[in-house]
Amino acid sequence: MINMINMRRLFFITLLICMTNTSAYAYIDPGLGSILIQATIGAIAAVSLTIKIYWQKIKDFFIKRKKKDFDSK
Amino acid sequence: MILNNFSAEPSSFRDNLGNIFYFENKVIRTINKIGKKNFEFILDKKILEDSISNNFLINTKIVRKDDLPNFFSKFEYVVESDFIPYISYPYEWSFEQLKYAAICHLDFQIFLFDKGAVLRDASAYNIQFIGSKPVFIDLLSIKEYEDGEHWFGYKQFCDNFLNPLLLGSIKGIQHNGWFRGNFEGIQTVELNKLLNLWDKLSLRIFSHVHLQAKSITQSIESSNKISKKFHSINKLSKNSYISIIKQLRDWISNLSFKKETTVWKNYSKENTYDDAEYKQKKKIVSEFIRKRNPNTIIDLGCNDGDYSNLCLDHGVKNVVGFDFDHNSISRAFLRAMNNKRSFLPLVLDASNPSPSQGWFQKERKGFLERFNADALIALAFEHHLVIAKNIPIEQFIDWLLNISKNGLIEFVPKSDETIQKMLRFREDVFLNYSETEFENCLKAKSNIINKNLITKSGRIIYEYKAS
Repeated sequence: MINMINMRRLFFITLLICMTNTSAYAYIDPGLGSILIQATIGAIAAVSLTIKIYWQKIKDFFIKRKKKDFDSK
Repeated sequence: MILNNFSAEPSSFRDNLGNIFYFENKVIRTINKIGKKNFEFILDKKILEDSISNNFLINTKIVRKDDLPNFFSKFEYVVESDFIPYISYPYEWSFEQLKYAAICHLDFQIFLFDKGAVLRDASAYNIQFIGSKPVFIDLLSIKEYEDGEHWFGYKQFCDNFLNPLLLGSIKGIQHNGWFRGNFEGIQTVELNKLLNLWDKLSLRIFSHVHLQAKSITQSIESSNKISKKFHSINKLSKNSYISIIKQLRDWISNLSFKKETTVWKNYSKENTYDDAEYKQKKKIVSEFIRKRNPNTIIDLGCNDGDYSNLCLDHGVKNVVGFDFDHNSISRAFLRAMNNKRSFLPLVLDASNPSPSQGWFQKERKGFLERFNADALIALAFEHHLVIAKNIPIEQFIDWLLNISKNGLIEFVPKSDETIQKMLRFREDVFLNYSETEFENCLKAKSNIINKNLITKSGRIIYEYKAS
């Protein structure tokens, strides 16, 4: 997982990108921007997936518990 | 005569690792010196073998160069891939087909990642449908994963798959026209301009579309400055790499086209035929297939694919169906995929079929270069061109004969309810449009084998055979 320093850097870069408004000259290198932003997108994706996995575990826990209660009745 | 001079498939010119050639109806892929190391990695790690056995990659085998003409001796390796019956392009696919092609690409990436490999690009043209099943066709796209590398195909994946799918799922706009116009897909910067604040409230859209578009725009404006700023974190962790792919897989598998109603929605159920007429139509198609026993059929105006499926039931090996309506093609595809049928439904505006385009206008082939068959069926189709698009009958017949020399064509008379509806708000300029005129035009170019009246309104199915 990403350490705190990298997290801070990612936050700064994301903020920088959001605040900057520039016009496009699409003939130079449109691929560079997609590569540079991947660390940020990757971090968001990794956190989202982790949350999703834990959320699923919590849901499964309660569903199983509910099912157990129902079965025992 | 042994040929010793071959031209590479025009669409394979970009690949510096190898090319594609055709020899005696075989698809031959050559691997040159630059691609040698990469190919040997795929072989050594059993990636080629496992990718084929897990149905991700098209069946491919190494061929002895001695069994081929001298021309091939200069290459490091030569492999032969299974022949793909019909090549189709993403601008001919429905939303659902593009979605399953995207899932196929991502699943293959996840599979490869476990084996220490990745895909070097993410072109939608590298996925082809064999019947209704998507398969990856470009083995030279597979490469060894290097620690810390970025997903270099990410931008292409977004342009080719994600953005066209988002256009459909958020805005309800079909990707086909835009994709065909700019056949590298829909750029993130352009899609970002269409999305409003409400659309961007989703974290996934915010990151993959908004942030990426901003980053692209900014990097183009001042690439040197930006590269330096990002230098310290220019490696992508393994976890981030696979998380992006898994997140996209999860996201795309839940996307659906924004709901809307079309004229064709229940066409195959609520059309102008009664049950007896529908049964008779099916009987005519069945008899035709039994008599001619074709291997391939093209079904023009296929709708949900009722007659295409009927052809398959009678032993036809491959059927390609075309329809103008995007939703009908989506439904036909899902039906074919669920039933594992060898049926490929594609979106087509027959009055403006896919052109030959790309580099040298040869990179992507036009409709008539790719689609011909042993026989065709064009049922309830003729009036959508002749009446709705003012295409002269003789030109319509010429076009059909280019697709197949045998077939069934349904003629719809002017008195029919559908044509009456079509002419309700426009001038009737079709003064010569009649059964006699249609028959004369068809006779001039082919032999009429059979003629069956199928509805009370006077619809006729003609069976033709041209030499």
